[in-house]
Amino acid sequence: MRATRNRLRSRAAACAAVLSLVTLAACGSGDGGGDGTVTLDYLSLAWQQESVEANQALVDEWNAANPDVQVRYVQGSWDNVHDQLLTSFMGGEAPDIIHNDASDLTDFAYGGYLADLTDLLPDALRADIPEESWGTTTFDGGIYGVPFLQEPRVLIANTQLLEASGVRVPTAEDPWTWDEFEDVTRTLTQDGDGDGRTDTYGVAWSMREPVSQSVNLSLSTGGRIFHSDDDGKNEIRFGADDSAVAELINRQVNEEGTAPSSSLGMSGSDTLPGFFAGRYAMLPLNFSFRQQVSQQAPDGFDWTVLPMPSGGGPEGLVQGVAPQTLSVAEDSDHQQAAADFIAFLTQADHAVELAQGDWMLPTSRTALTDPSLTTDELGWSTGVAVAQYLRPSPVLGVRGYPEWKDKIATPAFQRYYDGGSGLGDLREQLTDDGNRILDRYQR
Amino acid sequence: MSLTAPRADAAPGSRGAPPPRTPAQRRRALGLDRGAWFLLLPALIPILILSVVPLLYGISLAFTDSQSGRTESTQFVGLANFADLRFDSLFWDSFRIGLVWAVCVTTLQIVLGLGLALLLDQRLRFRWLARTLALVPWAMPEVVVGIMWRLVYHQDAGVLNKTLGDLGLLGLFGNGDNVDWLTDLALALPAVIVVGVWAGMPQTTVVLLAGLQNVPHELREAAAIDGAGIWRRFTSVTWPALRPVVLAITALNFIWNFNSFGLVYVLTQGGPAGETRLPSLFVYEEAFTYGQFGYAAAMGLVLVGVMAVLLTVFLRNRLKEETP
Amino acid sequence: MSAVTPATRRPRGRTLRAAAGRTGQYAALLCYLAFLAFPLLWLISTSFKSPQELGSIDPTWIPREPSFDNYRAAFDAQPLLRSALNSLLVAGSAALIAVAIAVPAAYVMVRNRSRVTRAGTGWVLISQMFPFVLIIIPLFLVLRNLHLIDSLPGLVMVYVVWNLPFSLWMLRGFVKAVPLSLEEAAAVDGASRLRTLGSVVLPLLVPGVVATLMFSFVTAWNEFFFALVLLKSPENQTMSVILTHFIGAEGAADLGPLAAAAVLATLPSLLLFSLLQRRLAGGMIAGAVKG
Repeated sequence: MRATRNRLRSRAAACAAVLSLVTLAACGSGDGGGDGTVTLDYLSLAWQQESVEANQALVDEWNAANPDVQVRYVQGSWDNVHDQLLTSFMGGEAPDIIHNDASDLTDFAYGGYLADLTDLLPDALRADIPEESWGTTTFDGGIYGVPFLQEPRVLIANTQLLEASGVRVPTAEDPWTWDEFEDVTRTLTQDGDGDGRTDTYGVAWSMREPVSQSVNLSLSTGGRIFHSDDDGKNEIRFGADDSAVAELINRQVNEEGTAPSSSLGMSGSDTLPGFFAGRYAMLPLNFSFRQQVSQQAPDGFDWTVLPMPSGGGPEGLVQGVAPQTLSVAEDSDHQQAAADFIAFLTQADHAVELAQGDWMLPTSRTALTDPSLTTDELGWSTGVAVAQYLRPSPVLGVRGYPEWKDKIATPAFQRYYDGGSGLGDLREQLTDDGNRILDRYQR
Repeated sequence: MSLTAPRADAAPGSRGAPPPRTPAQRRRALGLDRGAWFLLLPALIPILILSVVPLLYGISLAFTDSQSGRTESTQFVGLANFADLRFDSLFWDSFRIGLVWAVCVTTLQIVLGLGLALLLDQRLRFRWLARTLALVPWAMPEVVVGIMWRLVYHQDAGVLNKTLGDLGLLGLFGNGDNVDWLTDLALALPAVIVVGVWAGMPQTTVVLLAGLQNVPHELREAAAIDGAGIWRRFTSVTWPALRPVVLAITALNFIWNFNSFGLVYVLTQGGPAGETRLPSLFVYEEAFTYGQFGYAAAMGLVLVGVMAVLLTVFLRNRLKEETP
Repeated sequence: MSAVTPATRRPRGRTLRAAAGRTGQYAALLCYLAFLAFPLLWLISTSFKSPQELGSIDPTWIPREPSFDNYRAAFDAQPLLRSALNSLLVAGSAALIAVAIAVPAAYVMVRNRSRVTRAGTGWVLISQMFPFVLIIIPLFLVLRNLHLIDSLPGLVMVYVVWNLPFSLWMLRGFVKAVPLSLEEAAAVDGASRLRTLGSVVLPLLVPGVVATLMFSFVTAWNEFFFALVLLKSPENQTMSVILTHFIGAEGAADLGPLAAAAVLATLPSLLLFSLLQRRLAGGMIAGAVKG
């Protein structure tokens, strides 16, 4: 019997221990304030060490200069920001200042979760960022975010292979045409040991997410895929202009063997080991991938940043982008203060710091002229040179785009690039099935 | 009191009549007395607040057109979501994939888990180390597991292709080139099933290992002395005692596997060409990416319905044998 | 009763076969462990590699130039220690509470068949079947009304409830295996229900309780989605959420520091396993019944 009582007592003790743990934990939380100071939460998605540091330094600077508006740096992740935001929006607990990318803003803006910044931003900032960029965050006449960083897609090339092949090295002023690019990849593709297997492919398309690339690159050949009529209704078309780049990729993979089919399922980072090992001579990647390339490249490996091929004409280098944005939650009690902080973060000198931290381009015209960005080192100048050709991605502002992308376009493009289906099938799926989805959102 | 008497009761083979019940017990069995409520309430209250309430709310959404966004008000739409769902061929395609996935993963988990649990129950050297290492998949955070396996399956720099290449086995999976495990239409689903089995092994093994403790050792040893072979010993002694636990973990594993998508999403994002798009991923995207909560809840209910039917069929037959 | 090793009882003629069987067992176990544990080895190896080596097409198990740089970077970049403590607190409390309330409930569910317990059993399964993504938002609203958003106790409660179905469902099986006659004997001795549970049933449930504890701890330790949406403050964040901060857009990741942080996130669970594994099995029933 005594044993039993002891056991009971020890169980009671265990329960008490648990309870005290919980109360202890409860003491940890709690909001400061109450003395007139405002605390704003800034959800940042910076993830590379340099850019986290740049962000935190700017937050500290702001906090020192504005004792009554304190900003709290909250770390988020690109991996899950959408889920986190949706939940906190619906639960009414959203952070005040939100870092995101323009393609994620459409539904949040239409859902009424983001504040219209039209009257909250200083004129200087409005003037410093080009109209093209504001177009990426303007829905229904309201501005729902400040587009502050963006990145073009560029070709990152193995300098040694490029020079050895003797092909003309393109510049932003005199880029390759798509036809020329096709020739170049043929030249670069090699079977060094003659065993019938390709040892070096001219290019490796990382198509883990094939849709945004296919849409954004179609602009260079005069396509858009998403066309909107006069009363703002969106329609998907996939004519010759829209499909030219997709057809070229399909040719390279399935007919000419100048691009491997295995890279189609890879993300950009996945293609890097093969690139360093000389398996792939060129990689079409976002501008910021230079950070990973420079960090991971073996000693003595030389690489060059080239502009993407041109579709010809003065608009031949045009491509679609979805910039990174800063927004204010509609629920925020201090929208003006939050907008002021955004203006502080995006003023030209700060935008330069953030751009360097993320290896991206600032949208600010003044910032783009900063000598640290116009240098030839690490391909910065190439990026700056193509910055003027960046246009809002046609998918921005299209309601129903995410559903079209996941359910229709991603599998359809994957099958097409892999050679499993033809252009006719692709067109039919993208437009027939696709427009049915868009119509549901536009009723 | 004697040890053998209760053992014989619990022992397999005595599946005949239940032990005689005293009148007091029969009275208890009719309803819950105060003592029973006292023991039940600490579990019941949190379940009511944090599970029943949200769940009923979630279920009720299935009959509305609830969407994300505060600009549109929610309306009751009756069975319209279910009517739409009937013609959603993409959903039913993914349903087929989901069944293949859940059945394969669950079966392999149980079979492999049982083998491992039996081994870990033996008196082997370094058993503690083996038992700890066997739980590694459990200890690794899921976020990392997905990234790790992507590295393993990596086409150019993956350790799997490298190992197979060193062993000269790459030819088994194609023309001898490096295999692209996660993007090949035929290989992607098997490849993610392996990861699913891997990730779910520890909980299955732990439960079965704990369940093995219900097997009376004396009986096993007695059977061994009688000259019963390993297989006979297993079927006549071990299996009957382990059965309830196996059934319980099979049912739970099936439900979990059918409902899980996080790992597969990290690995393939549902690709290639929708080949690994599980139905639960469908529900997730419908709700969180497109904000169509009503439609997503309807999908969820259909999934629950199908699982409930499957499990009833599965459990009914088995439980009949368990409790006559 | 003392444990008798099977070997001493076997006739001599069988020793050879037994030895062969033993070898087979070790071989099988080795295969299992290779399959289950190699990603951890790979993770550890990755955590000591430089970015250049991670970009190499020819990966090796042993890092060519091992260094602690990734660990240093991981600690510099994220509050690992703080988040590990949070995780430990949350997972530990959740596991203990879940077991404390699941054992009595499971006992009642088995021993008192009534409408309530039957409904409870059904609920346990249904609640696991409904996709959890659909529950998150209503749950968020409930917790907000209880002022438990952005608090660790709130998260603990969610985990407790989330772990209860498994705990109940598993412990049911173990309670069922407890011979009724033992309890009857206790009842005849005049022991109350609680005392019967504590002194007679509980000791027989130890393997099940340990399995449940491990499960609850690990689930809470690794859980990500609830922690992500329910916690706001940086100082409250748990380990699994912190890990995603090393992941960027388009599947890019800061692989080295991520691996280093992940190794650190894996160790506590492994330590717990190695401490508890003995209780999972190994003659507990015999020992308990004797005492």
